[in-house]
Amino acid sequence: MKDFPIKYLTLNMIIFLLGIWGILLNRRNILIMLMSIELMLLAVNLNFLVFSVSLDDMMGQLFALLVLTVAAAESAIGLAILVITFR
Amino acid sequence: MFNLFLAVFPEIFLINATFILLIHGVVFSTSKKDDYPPLVSNVGWLGLLSVLITMLLLAAGAPLLTIAHFFWNNFFRRDNLTYFCQILLLLSTAGTISMCFDFFEQERFDAFEFIVLILLSTCSMLFMISAYDLIAMYLAIELQSLCFYVIAASKRESEFSTEAGLKYLILGAFPSGILLFGCSMIYGSTGATHFDQLAKILTGYEITGARSSGIFMGILSIAVGFLFKITAVPFHMRAPDIYEGSPTPVTAFLSIAPKISLSANMSRVSIYGSYGATLQQIFFFCSIASMILGALAAMAQTKVKRLLAYSSIGHVGYICIGFSCGTIEGIQSLLIGIFIYALMTIDAFAIVLALRQTRVKYIADLGALAKTNPILAITFSITMLSYAGIPPLAGFCSKFYLFFAALGCGAYFLASVGVVTSVIGCYYYIRLVKRMFFDRPRTLILYEPMDRDKSLLLAITSSFITLFFLYPSPLFSVTHQMALSSYL
Repeated sequence: MKDFPIKYLTLNMIIFLLGIWGILLNRRNILIMLMSIELMLLAVNLNFLVFSVSLDDMMGQLFALLVLTVAAAESAIGLAILVITFR
Repeated sequence: MFNLFLAVFPEIFLINATFILLIHGVVFSTSKKDDYPPLVSNVGWLGLLSVLITMLLLAAGAPLLTIAHFFWNNFFRRDNLTYFCQILLLLSTAGTISMCFDFFEQERFDAFEFIVLILLSTCSMLFMISAYDLIAMYLAIELQSLCFYVIAASKRESEFSTEAGLKYLILGAFPSGILLFGCSMIYGSTGATHFDQLAKILTGYEITGARSSGIFMGILSIAVGFLFKITAVPFHMRAPDIYEGSPTPVTAFLSIAPKISLSANMSRVSIYGSYGATLQQIFFFCSIASMILGALAAMAQTKVKRLLAYSSIGHVGYICIGFSCGTIEGIQSLLIGIFIYALMTIDAFAIVLALRQTRVKYIADLGALAKTNPILAITFSITMLSYAGIPPLAGFCSKFYLFFAALGCGAYFLASVGVVTSVIGCYYYIRLVKRMFFDRPRTLILYEPMDRDKSLLLAITSSFITLFFLYPSPLFSVTHQMALSSYL
């Protein structure tokens, strides 16, 4: 029980790093870059949830909910800009 | 309980004005009876008016700062720093909106949503300046960035602009992710997101030995995210392309407003929230790198907007000197630098917008401006010399105070690098002045006279720049008060 968050934090860190590498390595393909940005934000979301459970604090879940909204808005804007770029 | 709303009345007014203008624009620009009028000037003037009214509400609401302090302790805090920074932000936004009207007419730019998005991002920047919690900080930064992604891509016909918007989206969403990662690490290691609690927890954590790697990674990531957004140097990658590709009013906004609000917020986080050596080293390194790159890379530029982009990167380097020393003089010099930088940049972009007639993009087009339009040439020279730091103009006073603060806290290397790069940077500024006054281009380009708003704006800002050295003490005492309140 002492190292309860470490497994989950490692998983989230791996997903976050995959997101960063996805942006840095995929300069040609804008759609994959947008997906990688989503991956980064969602990995951090999971991070917040893990911390919220292990600290028994509500602010993490509150923050995660707000970040989810922002990530959705951001991907909508990203896709809209992508559409007008390729028109 | 009513005091709660009175204290945040400026933001409430601005948000309401934004939505009413949006509804007004949608209803009237799609009405067949009035033949689908393009409402951008209409909404623009009303937007300018609402920004000025917000500033009046803010300035008149000063006694309420202490009353609503208790209620807003959770996410926001209003004190002297936020008061004056918000007034500066609203003044800069009003100035930049008034520069845009001529641009709308000439380019036949019909989208009134441009102004609505600018107002919305101004609201979010007001929140960002007074944010006192990691959640509020992140949400405000995101709202401001999202609005700017859209307006950077707003000229849909030009692929230059949409590509700039796409690059700005990628370059802006990536540091938001890193910033959020830092917030999550700090939250996980300390259990607190409010800056008061963070200040108590993080006070001596480096000295007392038990260095938690989570906190270290968190602070590092937050600093890296901030530096990306303020386009400091190891993280400035696509910034010149974005500044060049976006429509010129958008570039003006990008150079001025986010820098003001991010600097205010960053000074809260770094001085109050987590005072220590980690952030100081990062800012040290970034400011040196920014100053050097800003001085060297701008020498090879041939386009005006890219030159202004590199000079703003260099200036961000000077401003980061203020972060690197953790003293009150540091914050005071930072605020003076931001104030003078905002005025100089408004001046520079007003001139660039005024010279837009025949698509002036290259520096060579400015040739012999002194013969065709001498007063404009003199104004441009004053602005460029102020950027270079020539006494007795205002830019010299801000740089002098920044180096003075750096010397005062023992950062001798920083101050000497600053002075050397300042001298190197003079080269390309003076080259612009020389090209205006002494070059003889093959074809003389005649520019139409600029409209009334820009000329007013230019008159105010350039007279401030020239006459600042006569009476600088109001600015100094105001910024001293602001810096003091960030330490309380």
